[in-house]
Amino acid sequence: MKYAAIGCLVVLVLGVLIVGGSAVGAYNSLVQLDQAVQAQWGQVQNVYQRRADLVPNLVETVKGAANFEKETFTAVTEARAKVGQVSTQVAGGGAPSSQQDLDKFQQAQANLGGALSRLLVVVEKYPELKATQNFRDLQAQLEGTENRITVERMRFNEAAQAFNTKRQSFPTVLIAGFFGSRFADKPYFKAQEGAETAPKVKF
Amino acid sequence: MRALAHLLVLGAWLAGPAAAAAAPAVPPAPTRWVTDGAGFLSPSVRQELDARLEQYQARTGHQVLVWIAGSAGGEPIEDFAVRAFAAWRVGRKGIDDGLAIFIFAADRKIRFEVGYGLEDKVPDIIASRIIREVMTPRLQAGDRDGAVVAGVDATLAAISGTSGGEGAAAGAEQGARRGFEPGAVPRSARRPGRPLGLGQLILFGIIGLAFLILLITHPSFALFLLFNLLSGGRGGGGGGGGGGFSGGGGRSGGGGASGSW
Repeated sequence: MKYAAIGCLVVLVLGVLIVGGSAVGAYNSLVQLDQAVQAQWGQVQNVYQRRADLVPNLVETVKGAANFEKETFTAVTEARAKVGQVSTQVAGGGAPSSQQDLDKFQQAQANLGGALSRLLVVVEKYPELKATQNFRDLQAQLEGTENRITVERMRFNEAAQAFNTKRQSFPTVLIAGFFGSRFADKPYFKAQEGAETAPKVKF
Repeated sequence: MRALAHLLVLGAWLAGPAAAAAAPAVPPAPTRWVTDGAGFLSPSVRQELDARLEQYQARTGHQVLVWIAGSAGGEPIEDFAVRAFAAWRVGRKGIDDGLAIFIFAADRKIRFEVGYGLEDKVPDIIASRIIREVMTPRLQAGDRDGAVVAGVDATLAAISGTSGGEGAAAGAEQGARRGFEPGAVPRSARRPGRPLGLGQLILFGIIGLAFLILLITHPSFALFLLFNLLSGGRGGGGGGGGGGFSGGGGRSGGGGASGSW
């Protein structure tokens, strides 16, 4: 009888250990994947910031040669200001946690991208500007930045997918549910029709 | 017992590589510094350039590759470049100081893909200038050998020219001396796998136990099953590896430049 009691106790303790251990493991792996998403979000912000930083220089350069295209400059400058606003508002403290926030961020960035491509279309009318070294360098930087944005966004989606897959698989989903919004599903960047494509103006 | 066998197969399937994510195929990693799949360069120039880049890597540690193919098959060359760069793991692990020059002869396109570690030495402006001012004019004049050689010259000059003098060079030398030999580093230098979670351990334990029971009761069937599992599991792995060299780096954020002639 005594042995049976001890046996039951051992089984019970083992059970608790196993359940507890897997809970800890699930929690830790969620934390790890969450951090990967955050780090990748940092990269995404970096490359978008890089593009925003190019804007003043680009506007100045184009202004010199095409001063009467006021509307285009205003559109670019406004879009850039808006991007700054939305970035701090939506994503100041890390990766956006809802699809809505990320969509907002993406929309603001897409507006800037659109304004920039219109600016580049305007430049088409000024061949002498296009030929300057300064403009060509800016063009190269802008192209490189757009490409970086594509790459880092794709990697963000991969990191988010890794997190979401783990979060929704059993038994992690039980643990994640326990912590509520701490481990909410990560949102994704969505491909946008036309607006987000790199302003590619070939020479 | 049949049910048990199914369970075994299911278990192995669950625990198997779930990372069979759909990624478009990238050509296998090159085995030399200069790969010419389109007969773009004359053989002597190709060999000479290859030897130079090999020496350059031994001296400075920076892995600079030239990869020439016919066509990217309609895919954007930027996408192709970033995937190939990652798959081939160009550059050294941790510092990603590699650079790959992709030339698509039929598409008449060039792409410089710069690893994270070289972005400050070969920024987009420099890469773009090399394409625009060094390579394109020569290519338009029909001087393919000259274009590639001059492009590589300019690239190496950019990498070492602004590398911050002695200190950086010494650091790179050290890296080279640490035994970084591209030919000698096996492709299998993979990322260390994450340790198994407790749940997985238990799963493996149960599967192992079930297999032992099966081995005792139906030895031949168990062995047959084991053989099938092992050979099946390895199936997809081949492909990319195979003697290709790899520095272990490969992270690039899409830095570089593209151009066409």
